[in-house]
Amino acid sequence: MTLSEFYSFLGESLDEVLERLRMEERVVKYLGLFLSDPSFNELKEAFASKDAKAAFRAAHTLKGVAANLGLNTLSSSSSALTEDLRPGDFTANSQTLLEKVESDYVNAVGGIKQLEQ
Amino acid sequence: MEGKRPLILIVDDVAINRTLLSDILIDKYDIIEAANGNEALLTLKEKTSEISLVLLDMVMPEKDGMEVLAIMNKNGWINEIPVIMISAETAHSLIEGAYFLGVTDFIGRPFDEMVLKNRVNNTIRLYQKQKNLSDLVLNQIYEKTRNNSMMVTMLSHIVEFRNGESGMHVLHINTITEMLLRELMHRSNKYKINKNDIGVICTASSMHDIGKITIPDEILNKPGKLTPEEFEIMKSHSINGAQMLNVVPVGSDEPLVKYAYEICRWHHERFDGKGYPDGLKGDEIPISAQIVSIADVYDALTSERCYKPPFSHEKAIEMIHNNECGVFNPLLIECLDAIADKLVISLRTFDWSRQADKDFFYIADAMMNDHKHPIYNQAFRQFIDERKKCHFFESMLDSILFEYSYTPRVMKFSSKASKVLGLPRTIIEEEGTQDLKYKVTNETSIENLEKIKTILRKHTVPKDKPILIKQAFFIGGKSTPCSVKMLQIRANQNETSVLVSAYGHIDVLQ
Repeated sequence: MTLSEFYSFLGESLDEVLERLRMEERVVKYLGLFLSDPSFNELKEAFASKDAKAAFRAAHTLKGVAANLGLNTLSSSSSALTEDLRPGDFTANSQTLLEKVESDYVNAVGGIKQLEQ
Repeated sequence: MEGKRPLILIVDDVAINRTLLSDILIDKYDIIEAANGNEALLTLKEKTSEISLVLLDMVMPEKDGMEVLAIMNKNGWINEIPVIMISAETAHSLIEGAYFLGVTDFIGRPFDEMVLKNRVNNTIRLYQKQKNLSDLVLNQIYEKTRNNSMMVTMLSHIVEFRNGESGMHVLHINTITEMLLRELMHRSNKYKINKNDIGVICTASSMHDIGKITIPDEILNKPGKLTPEEFEIMKSHSINGAQMLNVVPVGSDEPLVKYAYEICRWHHERFDGKGYPDGLKGDEIPISAQIVSIADVYDALTSERCYKPPFSHEKAIEMIHNNECGVFNPLLIECLDAIADKLVISLRTFDWSRQADKDFFYIADAMMNDHKHPIYNQAFRQFIDERKKCHFFESMLDSILFEYSYTPRVMKFSSKASKVLGLPRTIIEEEGTQDLKYKVTNETSIENLEKIKTILRKHTVPKDKPILIKQAFFIGGKSTPCSVKMLQIRANQNETSVLVSAYGHIDVLQ
């Protein structure tokens, strides 16, 4: 899979990312690093330990990191979860929003792994 | 821009975010990273004057970006180090809050590499320009203040010398005036003295006797008692001094001239209205003149004069209490009592170079705290703090220390060094001559100085490391083996390293 195919696969645009980050190698490098970024795991752990503040921070981070890499679907589902958690407590929607983030995350990670092969 | 690469502090709890920013900026800037607010604050504290810009994340564990900003405000760092906040935050109120706390810019995620680089570059350039200007201003003020206070001191000395008195009188009045003023401000706000006026009043106090240049020699230096006619002429020095200041064509609106006028004219008034020239009573006499008056009397009593031996501190205080040499404001007598012990020590350990520094501290302090035109300069604040710290430690150490500046060539000794080596506290080498100018009559003292000069001429390996030299000095009348530890500081000028200063510590070997 090429980088361009990867973004198409996720329904995103490589051109938009390149306009901001300039170099294809840089984009590839940071997609690779994204695999080891702990934010998503921290988000899951925060839910498991019912720590809404930590969950807010992790979602906020994920939103930013994803946005910078042009993973806009993941960024916007993270953003929705961020806003849901902003008041500092879990709501009735939190679990559903997390599931959406998880599915977008798994999707993106799957794509990156294929890209690396 | 030539020269050193600016240093950027990147603060973000997420490694991938820090790496990306540093990747983008590394070709033009030096980078340090901090993974949370606390780390960032530590780095800021250590490298306040080195950091050119902070890129700050908003949401972080430990301390978040807003808390970091709040502390940067509290410490005044925000005025000098620009902060650009980078965050995926979209909440309008939070972004506004960041601006309110002084961020220069806010960059949202996702960001554009080109925009980021330009904003970083512009911000650093603007702040650098501002800093260069404020450095320039402060350096000039430093020079000017030193020159001004030196000038006032020299002129006042000329008056004193004609009077056959030592120049120390002016410096003592200065010290006593300052201590009385501070004590008075501490006890009462009746006189509405502005903190920034302390330095001005002290400088003005140096001029209290300038009117004496109008008094003929034979009266001024008459060893015996003055006749009533002669005394009338002598008394005219107060009003003559004031009139001299009045006809000075410049500065009539300046606080310095206003205070100098009050002090010249009324420093011989008495609180009971029986003084001269105007017979003012109580607080009709400006407070500046009241203070200098009591300072003048105290120093006259405790110093030797052609017509009297010096009285002890206790005797002088007693005579002032008993109205034997004038009548003073009871509040000022209370102040004098309160500072009495400190006063004895201060006058005994007087050091002119410290005095000049002090004048500068006043002005720098006043400028940096001026609400209308504040000057923000962290490096300068640090410099001032360092000087204060230096004076403090030096006074605590009671060691044999010397300090030398290569241009201009000035040597300074700690009070113990001055005592032990038999040399004055400060020795200034005049332009064009080879020798440090000093008045030492003692052969052994001259030899001690020669030995130190030889050591100073050494060029140690330029590595900012102190060297140890064995050297004997004449101490207590005999040659005594000592070790000298010396650190030489260099600066690079046109690619050659030049000696700037040296600091030394002499240890007497048992």
